[in-house]
Amino acid sequence: MSAKTPIEELEQRRRWAEEQGGAANVERQHEQGRLTVRERIAGLVDKGSFQEIGKLTGSEAYDGLTLKNVTPAPYVMGLAEIGGRPVAVGGEDFTVRGGTTAALDKRKGGQGGFAEDMAHHYRIPLVNLIDGAGGSVTSAKRRGHAVFPGVDSFDRSIDLLGEVPVVSAVLGSAAGGPAGRAILSHWSVMVKGASQIFAAGPAVVERSLGQKIGKEELGGPAVAVDKAGAIDNVAESEAHCFALIRQFLSYMPQNVWELPPVVSSDDPVDRCEDALLSIVPEQRRRAYDMRRLINLVVDKGSAFEIQPSFGKALVTCLARLNGHPVGIVANNPMVYGGAMDGPAARKQVRFVELCDMFHIPLVFLVDVPGFMVGLQAEQAGVLRDGMRAVYVASQATVPVVTVVIRKCYGMAGMATCHKRGLEFRVAWPSAEWGSLPVEGGVAVAFRREIANAPDPKKREQELEEELRAYGSPMRTAAAFGVEDMLDPRETRPYLCRFVALAQTRLKTELGPKLKAGVRP
Amino acid sequence: MAREEIQSEVTGTVWKIEMKVGDAISDGDTIMILESMKMEIPVISTEDGKLVEILVKEEQPVSEGQAVAVVETA
Repeated sequence: MSAKTPIEELEQRRRWAEEQGGAANVERQHEQGRLTVRERIAGLVDKGSFQEIGKLTGSEAYDGLTLKNVTPAPYVMGLAEIGGRPVAVGGEDFTVRGGTTAALDKRKGGQGGFAEDMAHHYRIPLVNLIDGAGGSVTSAKRRGHAVFPGVDSFDRSIDLLGEVPVVSAVLGSAAGGPAGRAILSHWSVMVKGASQIFAAGPAVVERSLGQKIGKEELGGPAVAVDKAGAIDNVAESEAHCFALIRQFLSYMPQNVWELPPVVSSDDPVDRCEDALLSIVPEQRRRAYDMRRLINLVVDKGSAFEIQPSFGKALVTCLARLNGHPVGIVANNPMVYGGAMDGPAARKQVRFVELCDMFHIPLVFLVDVPGFMVGLQAEQAGVLRDGMRAVYVASQATVPVVTVVIRKCYGMAGMATCHKRGLEFRVAWPSAEWGSLPVEGGVAVAFRREIANAPDPKKREQELEEELRAYGSPMRTAAAFGVEDMLDPRETRPYLCRFVALAQTRLKTELGPKLKAGVRP
Repeated sequence: MAREEIQSEVTGTVWKIEMKVGDAISDGDTIMILESMKMEIPVISTEDGKLVEILVKEEQPVSEGQAVAVVETA
């Protein structure tokens, strides 16, 4: 080493960094069907855009005064571009000591560190590529004392959620700290068959509870995504995962002080699909495909569904209308008739907050019979979850247009409107609304009259008929109780116009949104 | 030509089968109607082609994600 010029030494140290944890460990990573962190970054960002920072970090091995080798620090990070826009990106290098923490003068990233600080300082999105095991009891032996929780603070990661888009990809088995950090994101994704996430892994679970369970069974997508909603989406492969991350960020502004990017669209604004006329079945009990409806309205191919397998009574999509990003919140009549249960409410809360934070106008496509009813729903806390959706909708300041497709009932219906804003609601002719549906409502309100009638069943039917006649949405429109009725085919041009109009308003509200109050 | 399985979106029972094997089918056509939570849930083709198999019978219970029909795409 000593014979080398400083430039040669720099080049040598960079080569050692490129070697990561050594050929054997890189091969083991590949055998697991996983990419190395450097391959991941290359696959994610615009070609050639990665400017690594802290490449020389690592533990040096000397023979006397001669440097023999540097084992790189197990975290790779830097500045890159996605879709031509700068992002901070970082991830654990699993090939170096399983991606555990390094003893450097300051942290490179992961649980706070330079990558997070850079996202904060330059106001650019952060992408976490998570593949690390988190804390280990062995660190206590090394340090000579046990570390108090929070020595690596989450505060920066928490503050970033109000500043710039944060995306986390879980690419290995994440437990403890790395698992927690994945949750501190605006959007998260994991890879089918390759990623698991849990508060604690199988060994800890067996020791604590005597439960024998595999890591896929405990924290694979079937649990973490479909049941828990802890992670938002599932990718089929790492390459697919990177494509999804790029797509998610394409709807997002760089930070809360900017508007989301508008792209040019070749889908005509006045595309009025005849299929919309017949999409809602005449039979009131019959469901239809809400995703199909969404795709007929938004720019072709622009819908990006968030949490497609969680809280399935609701569909949430980022999409575009004439190139303007928009958040679609739609009830899904295929699942519980679209009734809002706990998971659907939590999904709506999170999505509405995401869109509000990043100045993305909201469009509600409403077909909700109300909160989910029954013992199970009550035990699961549907009232609190549901009212949180009402609360968050009330606090949002981003422009909202509500389109009632069919049912709009009760408090779940309230959560689809923006009374504090313009309270702009339009409806299709298939729309119906009220405090609660006529069926069931009549039985409660006219209980005595029905019971005392000579033919109670008949009287109930008569009353239902009578009240249903008042239910025509046109009557409410005549009273300006909704602002307009649409021919379903007009939905796209109508929404395009108001989403474009919203841009002017959005510019006046740039910056972080601080909200007071204790959410129910 | 590819065989695409059409899955049920919900757990429920098969109420009415609307099409028969051999029928030409387009994206958006209703193959059968399920009943779940007092709602009629149509099973809708996501493909153009020919309906080549129906894997369930009327009144049979089905679960979410279960394949209920097969479409051969054109």
